[in-house]
Amino acid sequence: MKEWQPKILAILCNWCSYAGADLAGVSRMQYPPNVRVIRIPCSGRVDPLFIMKSLQTGFDGILVSG
Amino acid sequence: MQQLVKKVKEIIKNKEVDVVIGWGRGSLPFSATPIFVETEKDVEKLIFDETCRNNLTTYLTKDKRRISKEYKKIGIIVKGCDSRSVVLYTVENQIKRENVVLIGVPCNGVFEKKKLSQLVEGKEILDFQIDVDNIIIKGRNFEQTHPLKDALCDPCLTCQYPDAPEYDYFIGTPRKDVNVPDAYKMINDFGEKSAEERWAYIQEEYSKCIRCYACRNICPSCYCPECFVDQNDPQWIGKTPEVTDSIIFHLIRNLHVAGRCVDCGACVSACPVDLDLRIMSKKVEKEIKERFDYTAGTDINEKPAMASYCENEKQDFIMG
Amino acid sequence: MSLKSRSVMVVGAGIAGIQASLDLAEMGLDVHLVEESATIGGRMPQLDKTFPTNDCSMCILAPKMSECARHPNITIHIKSSVAEVTGNPGDFTAKIVEHAKYVDPVKCVACGLCEEKCPVKVDDEFDMGLRKRGAISRSFLQSIPSEYTIDEERCLYLTKGVCRICEKVCPAGAINYEDKDIEIELNVGSVILASGIDTFNPIGFGHFGYKRYPNVVTSLDFERMLSASGPFGGHVVRASDNIEPKSIAFIQCVGSRDESIDHNYCSSACCMFAIKEAIIAKEHMKGLDSSIFYMDIRAFGKDFDKYYEKAKGQYGVQFIKSKVSEIRELENGSLSLRHVLENGKIEFTEFDMVVLSVGLQPRENITKLAKKLDIKLNEFGFCRSDTFEPLKTSREGIYVCGAMNGPRDIPESVTTASGAVAEAVKYLRLDRQEIIEKKIPEKDIVGDRPRVGTFVCHCGINIAGVVDVKDVAEYAKDLPNVEHSEDLMYACSQDCMNTIKQRIEEHDLNRIVIAACTPRTHEPLFRDMVSEAGLNPYLFEMANIRDQCSWAHMNEPELATEKSKDLMNMGVAKARELAPLERLPIEINPKALVIGAGLAGMTAAEALADAGHEVFLIEKEAELGGNLRNIYFAFDKDPQELLAEKIKNVTKNKLIQLYKSTQIEKIDGYVGNFITTLKTEKDEQTLEHGIVIIATGAEEHKTKEYLYGKSSRIITQVEFEEMLHTQQFPKQKMKNIVMIQCVGSREEDKMYCSRVCCTKAVKNALTFKKRFPNINIYVAYRDIRTYGFREKYYTELRDLGTMFVHYDLDKKPEVTLVEEWNPDSQLNVTVFDPIIDKEIEVKADLLVLATAIDAKKENIDLGRMLKVSLNTDGMFLEAHVKLRPVDFATDGVFVAGLAHTPKDMDESMTQAKAAASRALTFLNKKAILAEGTICEVNDNRCTGCGYCEQICAYNAIEVDLEKEIAIVNEALCKGCGACVASCRCGALDLRGFSNEQLFSAFDALDMVDILGD
Repeated sequence: MKEWQPKILAILCNWCSYAGADLAGVSRMQYPPNVRVIRIPCSGRVDPLFIMKSLQTGFDGILVSG
Repeated sequence: MQQLVKKVKEIIKNKEVDVVIGWGRGSLPFSATPIFVETEKDVEKLIFDETCRNNLTTYLTKDKRRISKEYKKIGIIVKGCDSRSVVLYTVENQIKRENVVLIGVPCNGVFEKKKLSQLVEGKEILDFQIDVDNIIIKGRNFEQTHPLKDALCDPCLTCQYPDAPEYDYFIGTPRKDVNVPDAYKMINDFGEKSAEERWAYIQEEYSKCIRCYACRNICPSCYCPECFVDQNDPQWIGKTPEVTDSIIFHLIRNLHVAGRCVDCGACVSACPVDLDLRIMSKKVEKEIKERFDYTAGTDINEKPAMASYCENEKQDFIMG
Repeated sequence: MSLKSRSVMVVGAGIAGIQASLDLAEMGLDVHLVEESATIGGRMPQLDKTFPTNDCSMCILAPKMSECARHPNITIHIKSSVAEVTGNPGDFTAKIVEHAKYVDPVKCVACGLCEEKCPVKVDDEFDMGLRKRGAISRSFLQSIPSEYTIDEERCLYLTKGVCRICEKVCPAGAINYEDKDIEIELNVGSVILASGIDTFNPIGFGHFGYKRYPNVVTSLDFERMLSASGPFGGHVVRASDNIEPKSIAFIQCVGSRDESIDHNYCSSACCMFAIKEAIIAKEHMKGLDSSIFYMDIRAFGKDFDKYYEKAKGQYGVQFIKSKVSEIRELENGSLSLRHVLENGKIEFTEFDMVVLSVGLQPRENITKLAKKLDIKLNEFGFCRSDTFEPLKTSREGIYVCGAMNGPRDIPESVTTASGAVAEAVKYLRLDRQEIIEKKIPEKDIVGDRPRVGTFVCHCGINIAGVVDVKDVAEYAKDLPNVEHSEDLMYACSQDCMNTIKQRIEEHDLNRIVIAACTPRTHEPLFRDMVSEAGLNPYLFEMANIRDQCSWAHMNEPELATEKSKDLMNMGVAKARELAPLERLPIEINPKALVIGAGLAGMTAAEALADAGHEVFLIEKEAELGGNLRNIYFAFDKDPQELLAEKIKNVTKNKLIQLYKSTQIEKIDGYVGNFITTLKTEKDEQTLEHGIVIIATGAEEHKTKEYLYGKSSRIITQVEFEEMLHTQQFPKQKMKNIVMIQCVGSREEDKMYCSRVCCTKAVKNALTFKKRFPNINIYVAYRDIRTYGFREKYYTELRDLGTMFVHYDLDKKPEVTLVEEWNPDSQLNVTVFDPIIDKEIEVKADLLVLATAIDAKKENIDLGRMLKVSLNTDGMFLEAHVKLRPVDFATDGVFVAGLAHTPKDMDESMTQAKAAASRALTFLNKKAILAEGTICEVNDNRCTGCGYCEQICAYNAIEVDLEKEIAIVNEALCKGCGACVASCRCGALDLRGFSNEQLFSAFDALDMVDILGD
């Protein structure tokens, strides 16, 4: 059995945080691969339902960043 | 009461309105029924007392207005919470304020039928009488006296707006300086509990939901032509009474009425499985009040809390 | 008729050069952007944050950089320098030398292997030597172009003929040691210079020990230390012992306001720069003591004083008005500052670290460049320009912007850049641009089953070195609706893109998913490709498996492969739901409306008319000129001459229609299609126009302080200036004049600097002093803010023996009439003088108050009509305080002059030209395309509640009260989707990021068991 890992969803604004996630890659900053990113045009686009839906889907944590 | 009848007669006679929506006596002793008064003669049918539970302003929403389309100008009798709904409808472009004449009445609270029934252990009630702070309930072979507050709806017990904040005519004496106990005590108490306890409670409570949507259907703030739960593109949530879906339904419904709920308690009365609905709605109300200093339906000139932004808003939910 | 060309050259690709290039390119002109270094961006990428908003510098710059790089009308020449410019305006021949890069930019994929293996390690200039770089390198991670270049002076092979390691490790075969310099000849109509500025090098300066004491750094060094992407990852430590400092001192005016080094000017930006660093440092390090040693805090820009106050109050930054004379290093590496307090006392204070706020100075090579271009420099070595022609060099057809002709901060550099463009177009041919028609007809896919093609990019070894790309491609084959899947070496290479187009044809694909790098850089390219294959460009989706996967999980290849599959799955799921989107054309009316005919309004109108556009110039008053009518002196120039000339120009220009004594009643419409109703005493009239420039000005503050109005001897600076002009001085003999600064400025309810009053006081005092050398002038001031070259006049005035007395807000001067009821009785001014540490009393024969500049009340109504915002002081609030200083969030509306914030005449004119230039980027197009990803309303679901309308930052959605539903204005919608999230009814949706599409992506994640547990 592997150690339990939280499943994280990141909902990122295209203009800042998504760019930040790109920059992390460009800088070869290493972080655990248990995060999935969804790109949105603005954090204002996030309907609270997206968050609940993701939690229901089985994600353990949601990062909304923008 | 006589004053109310007199005023309604007057505005109908003056053709100030085409109709007055108010309450009449229902077929059961503890019930009032909505009535549409168009003639001076019918005015006598109007009543106003603790049985006038329903928020009649839902007749003003676009959807329901179809029934009453022929009326150009509508008079409506409003308690505090009803009046707040009218403010909401005005702010949200659902009605034009000038097309509605509000007749405000001071409200002492309204009965919660479920509570009355509990008080007399389900026995049939034939009559009642109010004696200052007590209620005398009469039935076949019994007569009981109970404190009045035990028979009132929960929201009435902490109501801060018993007098219509928005009205054209106010009938009776305003109850202005009502002393209300802390409206958020139950929320604060609940907040004291551990996350596990709270989650267990919510899960257990909301697993009872049968997804009948009575809460939504009766809610004066729920007037969408097609509720998100009924939509299929996208299908926002599962439609069966699966507990996570039910919780999401209630959470989202509460977000949809955030800064819009007037705490009339209609949902509580309508719920066939007695869900603790206000544990969510009051929490949202409290947050809105604390964060944005906003109380739904109390100021017709104020922008809705959830549709405005101000730079010094609390942003403690943002990291870093 | 002068010669005109369609090409233009911009020299220097910092923020000013980038802005100028973008403006010119948007007008349809061919731009050659010539940059000496290997990347565009200039100074801004080095900065961590920007004042006064603390925006991340790179985050706000990067979109502009990539827009510049992608623009079809801009050719970027990196590592290039100008050799000469010959010919005449409208027909210049510019010779430029493109230096050898030794790396083929077409082949280089910027994977970075070469630098990693390069045996040479030298100080990295970008990181101020705090990090090492290879001889093959790029300036910084987000550099544009992203390709590497070889530093020929450092490369072992190029200098000594040995090594060639980079050639061996390069997976793309991009290294070319045979590369040569090439000379290019450009035929251009005009030239814009934006070659920027250097920071003062404090090595050996004063007794500060820079480079001798490891814990003394410059403000730019410190900026790199603070930067999260900098060499220390944002963790500030002392170079001497790697320990986080507990106290930091900032020393201002290092290399500024210093006659001993011929820098008798103020660098204008360093005060704010230091305040910002002090704040950010405090945010980084809890409990840090940041102290700023200064002469005057020059927070004269828009909203700067609020930032200064925030630093003092909320952040507890210490401000010490004291000159530091010497720094000594202590044994523990800390530093002891010897400094002189206001009262002359000498103190020694210890700090863990010292930051020298270095001033700005001309670029080292400016003399050489000036010679090549045949332009003159001013007394300080900056490019010379005239007070009233601040954007022109001494050579006709060559213009200047940015900090090259004087120290400037970012927003002012951007403003001058756009302003210079308005000048440069004089010799350029502006033809109104058509929308370019699509060449390839689009396939109709409506009703067709989704047929998805997936392509997985190796990106050499960048992805394939970690992720099993073949496995991912294989996995995609089994996803629903996938008709074809394959892996490609470099998906963005021409031959791979041809392959993709071929596959679209072969398999009749109607949705494309490419798993590769980031859509932020490559989506436009791939969309074009999809378009060329006959599909709607919006039928394309990317899965970012490089930047956000292989590069971030290099040590976990299996999990990275799993993640790639998930991302692919999400991409396919979203792609299935994609629909073709159309970009609707919005016609642009070529006429312009300018509101206000003061200096800014007239200048803007003139610039637009010169570019061939009809202008409606509206003035509320019966006379033109606004505040300029009350200004009589400008050191070396006559403002009244300027006024006369401007009035003549706008009056005689046939393209300008003047409306005097006219009010704006109503403005409807949107960019390209505004309809304005004008009202005069007699009638009403409507105008149609494409853009609006707000130049409504501001007004003088009406004060009741300091007994103003109680005696004819108490006047404002404006009144004093008129007195100097008319020479109607008081009859009685004068001995003392007292001036009080900041009357109504920089106080609680008006926490802003009125910017011009210090200079105005200095100017008026000088004029007076030259006439009456024996009359004493006392100036009670809080900070003297004679920024830039204005400093020399301040020095001149001091040298003439003027008394400057510093006062604080809690010890304001007191003014008394000895006989309170008698306006002619003796006038006394008492002020506390910190230098002698006691109160002084002056019998004033004249008291001159520097009253503030107030926003106009009418701004509120105008703002409402145009749907643009005001700041808390009632001034118009631009779209972005740094990078869009004359635009608004609402397209097609621009601002110039005092309506924006207090400013001087030259600055008003520059900003007016900038506004005109920004307006031309719209007016010079016959139509613009609305975005494809915009919101739409499902009428049956909408209740018209209006939440969306209130939430939309762009005023792009409005409730039609008749129809009782919301209507999206497609011209204004920016596709952020905030309204969609606010819509309870589910009536709103965002094309391209629809609820259905996003839900589909969420659901796809549900299908895959993340991490396989």
